[in-house]
Amino acid sequence: MLVKLKIWRQTPTADGAFARELVDFEVDTFEEATLLDVLDSIKHHQDGTLAYRKSCRMAICGSCGMRMDGRAVLACKTPMKELAAKGRVPVIAPMGNMPVLRDLVTDMTDFWQKVRAMTPWLERAHHGDAPADGREHLVSPEEQQKITKETMCIMCGCCVSECNSMEADPSFLGPAALAKGYRFVGDVRDKRTRERLEQYNGPHGVWDCTRCYFCNERCPKGVDPRDAIAKLGAAMFDHGITSDRGAKHAQVFVDSTKGQGPVPGSFGIPVPGSEILYNGHLSETALIPLTLGIPTSLTPNWAGMGVKLGRKGKVPPPWHGALHRVKGLDEVRRLWRVLEGKESAERRGGDLEEPAKPLPPNIAQGVLTQFTPEQIFERTGAVVSSDITAGGGKLPPDQVDLAGYYGAETVVQRFVAGGGLDKDHGLSGPAPTDYAAQQAAQIDAHGSRPGATTSKDA
Amino acid sequence: MRVAYVRARGERIERISVIASHDVVIVGAGLAGMRAAVEAARGGVDVAVVTKLHPVRSHSGAAEGGINVALGNVSDDSTEGHTYDTVKGSDYLADQDASRIMCEAAVDDILELENMGCFFSRLPNGRIAQRPFGAAGRPRTAFAADITGHVLLHVMYEQLLKHGVKVYEEFFAIDLVLDDNGECIGVSSWDIKDGGIKTVLGNATVICTGGMGRMYHGTTNAFACTGDGMAMAFRAGAPLKDMEFMQFHPTTLKANGVLITEGCRGEGGVLRNADGERFMKNYAPNAMELASRDVVSRAEWTEIMSGRGVDGCVLLDLTHLGADHINRALPGSRELALDYAGVDAIDEPIPVRPGAHYQMGGVHTDNWGMTPLPGLWASGEAACVSVHGANRLGGNSLLEAVVFGRRSGEHAARTVQGKARPDAAAAAASISKTEAKVAGLLSATGPRADELRESLAETMYANCGVFRTGDSMTEARDTIATLRKTYDEGVLVQDKGSNFNNDLTYAIEVGYLLEMGDVLTRCALEREESRGGHTRLDFVERDDEKWLVHSLTTRTIDDAKINVGTHPVTITDYQPAIRTY
Amino acid sequence: MKKVAYYAGCLASLSAKELDSSTRALAPQLDLELVDMPKATCCGAGDIHEAKPDFYLHLNARVLSQAEQMGVDTLMTICNVCTLNLRQANQRMQGDEAVRERVNTHLMEAGVEPYHGTVDVQHFLWLITTGDRYEKLKTVAGGRLTGMKIAPFYGCQILRPSKILGFEDPDSPQSLEKIIEACGGTPIDYPAKLKCCGFPIVLARESVALNEVTQPLDQAKERGADCIVTPCPLCHLSLDAWQGKAEKQAGKKFEMPTLHMSQLIALAAGIPGSEIKFHRHVTPVGDKILNAVVK
Repeated sequence: MLVKLKIWRQTPTADGAFARELVDFEVDTFEEATLLDVLDSIKHHQDGTLAYRKSCRMAICGSCGMRMDGRAVLACKTPMKELAAKGRVPVIAPMGNMPVLRDLVTDMTDFWQKVRAMTPWLERAHHGDAPADGREHLVSPEEQQKITKETMCIMCGCCVSECNSMEADPSFLGPAALAKGYRFVGDVRDKRTRERLEQYNGPHGVWDCTRCYFCNERCPKGVDPRDAIAKLGAAMFDHGITSDRGAKHAQVFVDSTKGQGPVPGSFGIPVPGSEILYNGHLSETALIPLTLGIPTSLTPNWAGMGVKLGRKGKVPPPWHGALHRVKGLDEVRRLWRVLEGKESAERRGGDLEEPAKPLPPNIAQGVLTQFTPEQIFERTGAVVSSDITAGGGKLPPDQVDLAGYYGAETVVQRFVAGGGLDKDHGLSGPAPTDYAAQQAAQIDAHGSRPGATTSKDA
Repeated sequence: MRVAYVRARGERIERISVIASHDVVIVGAGLAGMRAAVEAARGGVDVAVVTKLHPVRSHSGAAEGGINVALGNVSDDSTEGHTYDTVKGSDYLADQDASRIMCEAAVDDILELENMGCFFSRLPNGRIAQRPFGAAGRPRTAFAADITGHVLLHVMYEQLLKHGVKVYEEFFAIDLVLDDNGECIGVSSWDIKDGGIKTVLGNATVICTGGMGRMYHGTTNAFACTGDGMAMAFRAGAPLKDMEFMQFHPTTLKANGVLITEGCRGEGGVLRNADGERFMKNYAPNAMELASRDVVSRAEWTEIMSGRGVDGCVLLDLTHLGADHINRALPGSRELALDYAGVDAIDEPIPVRPGAHYQMGGVHTDNWGMTPLPGLWASGEAACVSVHGANRLGGNSLLEAVVFGRRSGEHAARTVQGKARPDAAAAAASISKTEAKVAGLLSATGPRADELRESLAETMYANCGVFRTGDSMTEARDTIATLRKTYDEGVLVQDKGSNFNNDLTYAIEVGYLLEMGDVLTRCALEREESRGGHTRLDFVERDDEKWLVHSLTTRTIDDAKINVGTHPVTITDYQPAIRTY
Repeated sequence: MKKVAYYAGCLASLSAKELDSSTRALAPQLDLELVDMPKATCCGAGDIHEAKPDFYLHLNARVLSQAEQMGVDTLMTICNVCTLNLRQANQRMQGDEAVRERVNTHLMEAGVEPYHGTVDVQHFLWLITTGDRYEKLKTVAGGRLTGMKIAPFYGCQILRPSKILGFEDPDSPQSLEKIIEACGGTPIDYPAKLKCCGFPIVLARESVALNEVTQPLDQAKERGADCIVTPCPLCHLSLDAWQGKAEKQAGKKFEMPTLHMSQLIALAAGIPGSEIKFHRHVTPVGDKILNAVVK
């Protein structure tokens, strides 16, 4: 087949600049030929001065990263058949975000320095110690699975070539180095996790990623570096390393969706009544002061921005949240509890202070087929009264909607007290039972908090 | 110590210089080289690595299937069993003391690799998993999916960084530096990035430059595998051992020779001919597809030559394993077949054929990697200890690189401990020769180097392949003689620049390949028997009477005369027996 | 009329109300009946995905479950970030039975109906640039913006990662160009149209983000664009509200109006200015665009 292509020839000149020229080539080659095969043919039969790196020609050594039509590829993993058939004439250039040495060869010194900055080797608890029996660490296949993708990285630089953050900030550690970092953070044998996370947390670290996803898109080995960066962020949250503005930014999203958390000026302490600010949507009002801190957000730069946005109605007033609450936010809070389990409030950067509300009866019944009330309490903090189940537990669908509207707790309490819900008339029946008394009764019945026994057994 | 040795020269190469002097200099940064460097660094000496590629670009990374070790995690295995299988697999040509050293060291060395961070695939109980491999009596091969070499190479690079070893990256080694006493005191390289000859001196030089598969059409080897270290050592006067034994891997892709791991057969893949028949039952009824590599390659070749092939290939069938199994255990192989053969292994069998894969021979060393040339050590594929004899077992090459890399690094460091570093003045004569050589290459005219390599590769594949005869090898030898003459008269290096001139380095590589091809052919002609990877149709039997010896090839430094001699095989526990699988 | 669950997302409910109002005004004309989702929370953006990945998954599964309960097969987004988050969660819920079972157990524990994987997440852009609806769009938009040079700005998370988004070739997308052409405008081509607007880190790393937002503004200006159009309210906020700061950092003026995709179509379709709300833009849209608004 006939392959046509244009190659950016770049030769350093005496004055340290580059002579650049886009040169046309035409190669008659075999059907399965890759871009690398085509370059080789040019090199051997047309122009021996063409410079590029290569070695394994099987996508494992990572030498031949370059750009074809603006996208970073491994030349050896890029078949030319389809392009040739379409008559397309691709433009071949060196990778981006790296200085060019000549033609298609880039200087990867900075790339390797960033890899080195990750302390890229396994470190165990006591430096140099082997497992007690002198054998291998015992690691389950599932634990190993955690870093399978990152292990695939061949350090070709295709991700770095396209990284939008690095383009804007050349000091950014970048996708390849951070993926290497996660390769150790995610390795259950490595005991330097906390130090690593603190190390990767600084300026130009994890929170510099702008989530453009070019790295995932370009990676020829399916490493998905952006996902590795996200996993580092999650690990930082797990370790309470949340001092960076990026982490604080993320925390506002978490608090916004669960409808409760610290507010500006509360010094990171979750405050009762923060529902006014956090309604299930992102609180844009809280975002700037909580991310930057109040002093910074009052500087002319940011205060001016606030005024500018406010004039255009883009800064919702603090009471906006209270007026536009997402329905059924209780569900989200219970989900939060289910997922966070028994972790300490400190680790998760602020807990819900108030006890979770009871489950809506229709769901309660569904869940009770799988869990005992004790288990549900332990997992979610939600109380399921046996009265509900005794009463059949099921409400017509229209009344469930009302539960979402009035708040599940109110509905359940009315229901427990022998009342009910009516689509047209709203709540009916006697006044709700006292919530705290109900919980106390539960505790009495079990002799202790229902959850405590279960957790001891576990 | 930094000594600049500057001398005005022609336009292109303005200065030559000794840029540093270390205790130990490693040439090559694959698994063996980096393992040697780490061990030497642990020995408390100053170590440097000279490499034409960045370390993680080395070809060790392409090893897929695994590394053999008698951990006994899935069977009642023993190092004795491992040693026996290795010796039998070698067709009794391996030195049995060396094989025993390797198989016994394997357990600690592999556990150490795990402790360094190598993520071997696991069993449900958390221990390192082991899979069956060709010609092994037990499932003995530890692995990391099917990217074992890649994982090991990167772990070793991590250790290199951890130990702060100095790496001269993209330094293309051209000549070993000999002092006036003929002792090796370092290596002169072409600086690929900036141009010019740069010499790095050391009291000990360790050759870890890997194989030379590029002299064959249809090879699994990377472009970089051009026998550099073997040729440099040979030219400096070190003997080469068992060079006639090139291993042909049974399962390589036709288009570009890319390897499909033996792990595919270990996981249950089968070989079929055009009629869909599992032909291995006719050649190795017990071991079937998991017979030794030489056996399987010969069987495939016979099938193809008898007209039972498919477009010059046989079929590696994985389809019965199912998508889940393939994706979990052999994802890399599936990807390679998709990329380079356009075949999805889940749905269709992969067409494969034997391809030149591994040089069992290499620089002659003792059990510590030391060569007869003072100051020179060698390990890995570039060396021949010998643990592979006439045929290497799958999973033993990574092991050899790790065990003998470690041993040569340790021994070199111990030997040079406290010795004064070599002085730049001692290197002057040697450097001028190298410099003249490069200047000559840059100014010569003639054919392009690749034309010569193409002819070499063609004649090697056709005449010195899975099956050989006296006639075919004579033809190869004569062709190579002509090619070498042409090469010596001059090839055309079009690129005259100093910055990233890989036209120049390629021309030098072709020189290495031609000389090593010459050696291989001459050794093969001498050996009038069939043993392991060396199968002659005119001498079909193994001849223990006459040929239970290593070949040992030497070259006179001054007139470059090649002489093939022999060297005894060390036999301790296992007497040669008929080899069946 | 196709009924879709309308997931407006946070910004369109707050700072980018003009996006919500123009979308609502436009949708019925394009055969889309938008059904509100009063229980839908924030998708968590990249932020919760990064900070609390499991919470992110459950949060979005809960949103998808609501759409399923509403009896529709499509959830429509008008924001790139919402699109990626919901599609990513959806793919995991649909593609992995073990994940689905685990998440649904948790959802039920928390009082949420389980999600069975029957909903498809589609961006408004995708729904109106395919099939009959695109024909309809051409009629509705009527090519009324003739002569206007418009620079499409895709942003990231409607294109990448393509294995999750997958609507079009992430390196040469055409959907926004189709929209511009339907409106009668001339699409301007420029490299930064596929790049990042910097918004996710505009608070955490302002100057880095400003370097990113400068590129499309600069290139669009250089190529003589009258305005930029984007399918994402975050890109919009970045290009519109942070433009002043970008100008200061770059030391040059861009004065580049940025329109939400819905606004552009609404403008072409003659929808009243009261729904398009150009007065809410920080960077003035300029007379050329204001004159095109039906009085």
